[in-house]
Amino acid sequence: MRSAEEILKEAGIPARRVEVPGSQEEVASLVALARKDRMRILPLGGGTSIGLAPVPEEGVDLVLDMRGLNTIRELDPGNLNMVVDAGKTIEEINRELAQVGRGFMLPLDPPRCHEVTLGGCYAANSSGPLRHLYGTMRDLALGVKGVNSEGKEVGFGGVTVKNVSGYDLTKFLIGSAGSLAIVTSVALRILPIPDASAMCEISFQRGSDLQGFLRELRGSVLLPSALVVTWKTGDEALKVVIGLEGHPKAVERQGREILDMANRHGGEGQKIEGREAMERGLRNSVDPKRLTSQTMGLKVGVAIAKGLELMLSIEDLAAKGQVEASFSLLAGNGIGFVYATDSSTSVLEEMAKKVREIASEKGGHVVPLFGPRQILLSWGPRMDARLGRKTLKPIKQLWDPEGLLLPLGL
Amino acid sequence: MERARLVRELQAIVGKGNVLHDRASLAVYEYDASLFRGRPDVVAFASTTEQVSQIVKLANREGIPFVARGAGTNLSGGTAPTRGGIIIDLCRMRRILDIDLENQTALVEPGVYNLALQNALAPLGYYYAPDPASQKVSTLGGNVGENSGGPHCLKYGVTSNHVLGAEVVLPDGDVVWFGGSAQDPPGPDLVGLLVGSEGTIGIATKILVRIMRLPEHVVTILAIFNSLEEAGQAVSDIIAHGMIPATLEIMDNLVIRAVEASVKAGYPEDAEAVLIIELDGLADGMDEQAEKIEEICKSNNALSLRRAKDSAERAELWAGRRGAFGAVARLRPSYLVCDGTVPRTKLPDALREVKRVSEKYGLPIGNVFHAGDGNLHPLILFDGRNPEELERVHKAGTEILEAVARLGGTISGEHGIGTEKLKEMRLIFTEDDLEMMRRIKRALDPMDLCNPGKLVPPPIGEASQVQAVH
Repeated sequence: MRSAEEILKEAGIPARRVEVPGSQEEVASLVALARKDRMRILPLGGGTSIGLAPVPEEGVDLVLDMRGLNTIRELDPGNLNMVVDAGKTIEEINRELAQVGRGFMLPLDPPRCHEVTLGGCYAANSSGPLRHLYGTMRDLALGVKGVNSEGKEVGFGGVTVKNVSGYDLTKFLIGSAGSLAIVTSVALRILPIPDASAMCEISFQRGSDLQGFLRELRGSVLLPSALVVTWKTGDEALKVVIGLEGHPKAVERQGREILDMANRHGGEGQKIEGREAMERGLRNSVDPKRLTSQTMGLKVGVAIAKGLELMLSIEDLAAKGQVEASFSLLAGNGIGFVYATDSSTSVLEEMAKKVREIASEKGGHVVPLFGPRQILLSWGPRMDARLGRKTLKPIKQLWDPEGLLLPLGL
Repeated sequence: MERARLVRELQAIVGKGNVLHDRASLAVYEYDASLFRGRPDVVAFASTTEQVSQIVKLANREGIPFVARGAGTNLSGGTAPTRGGIIIDLCRMRRILDIDLENQTALVEPGVYNLALQNALAPLGYYYAPDPASQKVSTLGGNVGENSGGPHCLKYGVTSNHVLGAEVVLPDGDVVWFGGSAQDPPGPDLVGLLVGSEGTIGIATKILVRIMRLPEHVVTILAIFNSLEEAGQAVSDIIAHGMIPATLEIMDNLVIRAVEASVKAGYPEDAEAVLIIELDGLADGMDEQAEKIEEICKSNNALSLRRAKDSAERAELWAGRRGAFGAVARLRPSYLVCDGTVPRTKLPDALREVKRVSEKYGLPIGNVFHAGDGNLHPLILFDGRNPEELERVHKAGTEILEAVARLGGTISGEHGIGTEKLKEMRLIFTEDDLEMMRRIKRALDPMDLCNPGKLVPPPIGEASQVQAVH
């Protein structure tokens, strides 16, 4: 695990002071102190989506390394919920849950999930292959606790699946990237680990064949838990990784029918049994293939039907620009991760610009997750600026009038 | 603004025949399905987003409150105006604009009935998961406003989990889009904020929802028990075995008898509890799961078990549950339905509290609840013509919610806060929490005109805006 100092150095963010609070009360005290001195605050997790927040060029005054809060506070398998500190990594959470009773899971698997903290995952609205069946943070978060810009401890939601008491700020704060409050713990749904798990790995030589396969699979009654298309520079074929979970009979049938379906569309593949293999396969399908200080990570969102088209355009782009790149498309959701590595920042910048143009033409959006500082600084608005000015800016002005928390990406 | 001029201006926006302002017509719009009443000054039927926007801009110019309304089925006073003003009725915006199977979405206007969308999707092999009991008559705009649930929420979540985006007329009349077909729009989750906001921060004029393939196979089981505790334990045991059915619904004896007198669903009238369990998904392995569930029910002393053989029989088993609220009207003229939700394992404690409250206030209370997600619906039966009884009803309702909060639950699972539960919000939130919510409202509706007086109580010491209470 990288230290806060290492993360900040790699991201090129100047910071005057780093603190590691161990409790919500300590976070509140530190924010209250920061408020007195008008210090700008950056809450930090694993730093895997640090590009989402438009950290000012001059940096921040106080970094709160939230990984000091790393306990499962409440675990209630009977009610399928838990409350976990923001600083615990998704991987650690799942490792502990797997040991409880018959075995449970938090079906969130964002890229680099050994580094991603729960708070970071919440603040960045990160997700991975399993969202295909289990949804995203919006579907799993039941409640949230945190500290507001005045240093007051606040909480919303609860531990029940149904809850319509007041504005749903548990959902609203998802994706807020440290701009509206500092998240200290999240209450989440958990699920029993399914009785059987497997994975299909299928290769397609032609995008048009793959498109036909994806269309048929998405329109079928089959219920895979993950559906990822991956490609990296040097690959001849497009690879599809499919997670299967559930009753052993259902897993067996789905594997068989999916491989048959793939064959009909010109794909070739195999089924691999077991949960460990499935988890490893899914993780590899979304992690960056190579990670250096000159690697840029982007998250792309587009309507489901346009996902593959978008990714094939990016493949062309990388080939033409001779940039070492890879992509992972969550093909049931239209979410993609694009990674590119090049010694020249301006080459990466140019690639990012073109990815944004292509996504925009298809009605989608792109945000930077990480990359050279120059790219993150010159990115501009992370979100729809008109919408943000009409809605989020007035909220920010009342919630954080002194601008102590990170700015909105407007 | 003089009322006659307001009427003329509204008529200029929506057409002469689309504005109601006579006393008798307005009386129809002074209530929803809660016990609260509040009369509007005028009702305007909007047919387009542009009309909604123009009405809201007019209201802003003149400082007049406005309330968007669908079918008025909400159970917490969300659509009863607190300060008069304009009701913007959206029931004429009832087109299903697009069904996009490739992207698994449907785009609808807010006045589309929930069931109308289901009926349009079913022949295509798709469905929209949230299924409130009121789905025959409640609109999708209302479902968004209230974040409606339904029996299938345990497995599939509530409305919030199925709305991808919305065209919204903001409280100043400007029109924007929250979310859309490209998922994970950057920034805080505005769609998540909108859903369940009870029409207080904007009016959804188009709604983009996620649709899903109809499950390949469905198994519905009816289990009869001699006690609520045993039925509740069966539910806990099913979950403990790692199975998550699509629904787990319980009704108690009082409701069973009412249902039998009304719907004749075939429930034994002497049973203390009926549990409806539904599994859905792939057919493979489902029969084994159903057998396991039946085994669990037997081990919890189920008196009898019945598995629906076909869709007609399934509909029959469900008819009783769906008709439960209406059926209790046979027992007393009025009811107040509470909506507290507790962690599922606390259900026996919560039911004991309901029984205690029933005895303390001398009021019959029936129980019908979503056992899988701990969502109680105690139905307090009374005669609304008796003011003394009505007072006891309100006290009993509050006491049930206090118990729910003590048990670690929340005061509303799916019916909303409206005006009904404003004071109970302090049972689960601190003043600092509530202040954050008030600032949301203030930021987005600085003139406090968009369905004012709902959802969040005013600061301590400040008078409530709720003027008209039954």
